[in-house]
Amino acid sequence: MTQIKNRFTFVRILCLFVALVGALAPVYWMLTISLKTEVEQFASPPPWFIFTPTLEHYYDAFVSRGFGQYLLTSAIVAVTSTACALIIGTLAAYALARFELPWQLHKHLSLWILSTRMFPAIVTAVPLFLMMRDLRLLNTRASLIIVYTAFNLPFVIWMMRGFFADLPRDLEEAALVDGDSRIGALVRVVLPLVAPGLAATAVFCLIVSWNEFLFALVLTQTDASMTLPVGIAGRVTQYEIKWGVMSAAASVAIVPILVFALALQRYLVRGLSMGAVKG
Amino acid sequence: MAVLLSLSIYPLIYSVTISLQEETSSGIEWGLGNFARLASDNFFWTAMAHTFVYAAAALTLEFLLGLALALLLNRQMRGRGLFRASLLVPMMLPTVVVGVVWRLMLNPNFGAINGTLKQFGIDTESLTWTASPRLAMLSVIAVDVWQWTPFVFLVLLAGLQAIPQEPYEAALIDGSSRWQTFRHVTLPLLKPAILIVLLLRTMDLLRVFDQIFILTEGGPGFATETISLYIYRTAFRFFDFGYAAAMSFVLLALTNVISVIYIRFLSHR
Repeated sequence: MTQIKNRFTFVRILCLFVALVGALAPVYWMLTISLKTEVEQFASPPPWFIFTPTLEHYYDAFVSRGFGQYLLTSAIVAVTSTACALIIGTLAAYALARFELPWQLHKHLSLWILSTRMFPAIVTAVPLFLMMRDLRLLNTRASLIIVYTAFNLPFVIWMMRGFFADLPRDLEEAALVDGDSRIGALVRVVLPLVAPGLAATAVFCLIVSWNEFLFALVLTQTDASMTLPVGIAGRVTQYEIKWGVMSAAASVAIVPILVFALALQRYLVRGLSMGAVKG
Repeated sequence: MAVLLSLSIYPLIYSVTISLQEETSSGIEWGLGNFARLASDNFFWTAMAHTFVYAAAALTLEFLLGLALALLLNRQMRGRGLFRASLLVPMMLPTVVVGVVWRLMLNPNFGAINGTLKQFGIDTESLTWTASPRLAMLSVIAVDVWQWTPFVFLVLLAGLQAIPQEPYEAALIDGSSRWQTFRHVTLPLLKPAILIVLLLRTMDLLRVFDQIFILTEGGPGFATETISLYIYRTAFRFFDFGYAAAMSFVLLALTNVISVIYIRFLSHR
């Protein structure tokens, strides 16, 4: 019996190990490519661990080529759209959690929110492109900020409503009795209590906006307005590919994501499944 | 409140109406011409078939792998936080980066996969992965499995851990075998989590765009062109917005039907 149990444990550890290596090795490989000289990139057999590291590709990408600009655009768009979505979304979510909606609208709300999560992006890409063209907003950061805010909003409302609903009403009612306004109660009493949830939601929006590709590809085509993913993609599909530069840019693109993901891994499953699973 | 709500719904509704107008007013003509064109467009149906093959294959693999991993690892152990964090890496990556990573891995000349295979004495001459019509579809499916199996695993694991101990004890007392316990206790109790994860993955797979765009651009030839890529090409390479919108509505209707079926199942649990 113990022997069977031991063997089972061994199998589990083996699976764990294979899964870990499988998940991380490709990313590690890209990191090594970004640090290798061109000669070593093409070496056979491929050097996994031993090579002479160089930062030339990073210099090339972010100083000589336009990737610094793309990085800045990505950051501005992600932060601004997240801030907009959070402000509007938190207010709406609070109202939804505390007041009754007419016609039982709140029952349909979940479906609406889920549907935006599942909407094929390409379906809206065409009308959005035409809209932005008519508004003369093509190739501007504003277009991306508007689009990302609109797409993050349902998510923010959904997540925050859950966090607000978990809070007892007594706390704010105490503040209201003491003569505070609704907004005052929200800002001074409720928000500090849901701060961890708010932070998690914010990070989610940041990640989504940072990673988004299709809308950025459709709406921004100039160097000044391109986000980092579009910039990288533009280089990939060219005929002669500078692999080192590409991997350097891609490696930089994942740094904020890694930091965020580690910071809130507790909330990640809940967020990714739209609150359906409280992992 | 109403103002806030309408502000958030507005872009969606507006885009839908705009696209409706676009779709009917193909150039000068109003009508269903674009939809009629769909029926005889072989590229459209091929892209549709690719999308379904891709989605079905990736969904099956991700689900089976994810479930197996979740069942295997459903217990307390040391280093679990670290393990979970590492598994999160693939799915948090920008899809563009995933594309770059796998272009590097699968590159026939200096990619890690062929390089490693070569070391084991395997002939890699014919293994050109994304450049070969036969292997390209396999490659893009494998990449999605790599990226999203961890997600399936994590959701199912969370579902497993929410199951209380009592049913298992009852099953044990009744002398049910391992398989019986799994079939009659675990699966029914895990059903909500399974349905959720299948729903989310199906929708993501049907609209896949980014990874394939980077990895193969739908090629070689037409081998990995999915419906989203075809719509993109129609709209932004050939600037045929009306036809693209017509196709998007077919895609939208399709995903709607599928999600409604899933949600039915979910609410009738």
